[in-house]
Amino acid sequence: MSSLAKRSVRHHRRFVLALPLSLLLLFSLAVFHIGVGARPIGPYTVIQALFHFDAKNFDHRIIVSLRLLRLTAAVLVGAALGVAGVLLQALIRNPLGEPHILGLNAGAAFAVVVCTALGITSASQSLIAAAGAAALFSLVMLLSSAGRGGVTPLKVMLCGVALSAMISSLTAAILILDEQTLLAMRTWLVGDLSGLRWESIHHAIYPLLAGLLLAISIAPGMNILALGDNMARGLGVNLLRIRLVAMLAIALLCGVAVSIAGPLGFIGLLVPNIIRRLVTEDIRLMLPLSALLGAVLLLMADIIARVLLAPQELATGIMTALVGAPVFVFIASRFLK
Amino acid sequence: MSRAMRSAGLRTLRLGRFSRVIRPKTLGYGLGLALLAIIVLVSGVLQGSLPIPASDIGRALFYPQTLTAEQHYVVWDVRLPRLLMALLCGAMLGLAGAAMQSITRNGLADPGLIGVKEGCSVVVLTLILLFPTVSLVWRPLAGVVGGLLVALLVVVLSRDFSRPRFVLIGIGVSWFFAAGIGIFMTTADVRNVQTALVWMSGSLHAATWPLLLVALVWLLPAAMVLFITARASDVALMGNHTATGLGVRLPHLALLRFIAPVFLTAASVSCVGSLGFVGLMAPHMARFWLRGGQTALLWGSALLGALLVLVTDTLGRLAFAPLQIPAGIVIALVGGPFFLLLLWRRRDRL
Repeated sequence: MSSLAKRSVRHHRRFVLALPLSLLLLFSLAVFHIGVGARPIGPYTVIQALFHFDAKNFDHRIIVSLRLLRLTAAVLVGAALGVAGVLLQALIRNPLGEPHILGLNAGAAFAVVVCTALGITSASQSLIAAAGAAALFSLVMLLSSAGRGGVTPLKVMLCGVALSAMISSLTAAILILDEQTLLAMRTWLVGDLSGLRWESIHHAIYPLLAGLLLAISIAPGMNILALGDNMARGLGVNLLRIRLVAMLAIALLCGVAVSIAGPLGFIGLLVPNIIRRLVTEDIRLMLPLSALLGAVLLLMADIIARVLLAPQELATGIMTALVGAPVFVFIASRFLK
Repeated sequence: MSRAMRSAGLRTLRLGRFSRVIRPKTLGYGLGLALLAIIVLVSGVLQGSLPIPASDIGRALFYPQTLTAEQHYVVWDVRLPRLLMALLCGAMLGLAGAAMQSITRNGLADPGLIGVKEGCSVVVLTLILLFPTVSLVWRPLAGVVGGLLVALLVVVLSRDFSRPRFVLIGIGVSWFFAAGIGIFMTTADVRNVQTALVWMSGSLHAATWPLLLVALVWLLPAAMVLFITARASDVALMGNHTATGLGVRLPHLALLRFIAPVFLTAASVSCVGSLGFVGLMAPHMARFWLRGGQTALLWGSALLGALLVLVTDTLGRLAFAPLQIPAGIVIALVGGPFFLLLLWRRRDRL
């Protein structure tokens, strides 16, 4: 058996091990996550509430009416960000790729703020966010693909940083000029999972599913893309189509995440790097794992953000940045010469 | 004077025993910029929610006792400190950017970009929130300490500051400290947070005469260090071997020229909050318009930086009056495209 085939078998074995493990982790974290709050609830009560709901029990009512919402949002957003991170890093062939760093979150936030300021508060907030993310991301990709070296890591990062700084300052200007919008958006803009409503999750679910389906459909092509442009072209892959579909999927996933929880950073950076180091580099296997791991990481961040300085709560986005930024520095110092 | 020097636009200036090689064109541009800054400054004094008639400008500036009490207050306690602060901070940031770019030989290096701003903000915020009674004068000192520590951290992490990696690692470090600022913002007492927010967003309206004096005290020594080392760093740009052979002590030079910009940036951040992109834009514009060595570059960046902050602050103040947009936001709106233009021009090398 060739070494390549052996490696692939090893990756499959690791995947089979990692999948149930991360599912288990997700479930236990979810139970713990529901228990955390102003009124702590034990794990046993949580499980009881989920499987034998008793309308007369106060704890059960808290869980179903309040805490389940936050849990669902965290899981959905985490999964979307994880998958988006995997696609993004495969697309730009760069372990530093991340929706927040490349300006997708800033673009989505800008689109949402503009629409709110203009008084358009339709149900399709996540689609608006996705459009903003897609617009800014395609601008970043266009600018950074100029020049001889193509999309080099440094160029794409610097373009992303500059464009998101500019767009964020536009957002800030709008918020300063329009107090009404500022009041409505203030908590949302930090990247926080509090103050959610079920409707926003209902509206986000279809774009999320569409993004995930697109991601799965291009996974084999993305694998070939990793071999390099020329090799992929020789193997009969339509590069432009794959890239466009990947960008669409990334924009949809980021739009969903931003419309639910605001701009949350660094989940999309951590997830693909962890999976690639521990399990596999095969995109087809990475996708389901990244959804699970993204949810796990976001749940952890959310739990820590609420427990660390209790009774005060930190915004979830701050927690992910505190952990994610050092990882970014570490990868940057290893990866770039 | 040789023909080569003449054709490069150099002329000799003689005044008795004193003689010096100058570049009249560069001097002319410099004077023009200074004049422009003065014009913007004067017109900035006149404009605002209480307009002062243009015919009264001489009276307002030179015979303040003839003004009404209201006018006197507006001109001398509100507008002048603010405009002068814009000039000073712009000059500080421009100088810092010029020095940093030349010592790192990295056109994208800006002390504001590599986390000095955020490190400074974290320390100053700690000061504001934990010891609210400490006077304004101590803020720059604390800020400088924080900024220096962060700059050192970035250098240690990237090991070598002439590589492009340096900027990216700096950006990562600045994200970390930005999250640290976020912790303060979400957990501290609301009134303190409001004070901090006003300071952070890079608006100049809190400028007062004492704060102006503090900024000047920080500007002067750092600027002197930069101008004194300007000639040595001209030589250093010829390459390490040549410079060492010509007697430049490179480690000392690098240390001085690295610390001074951090000082300047940290001091300006502690005085008026974060104004991004000035340190990046001013030196590039100066290099585009003014030819000459480091001395010309330093003067040009200081002037252009001052002009940039002055113009953007006046714009932010007047464009949507009575609402005010912080200068930091207006600068970022202009600076983002400028940064992209720089990237575009070196697209083959990154």
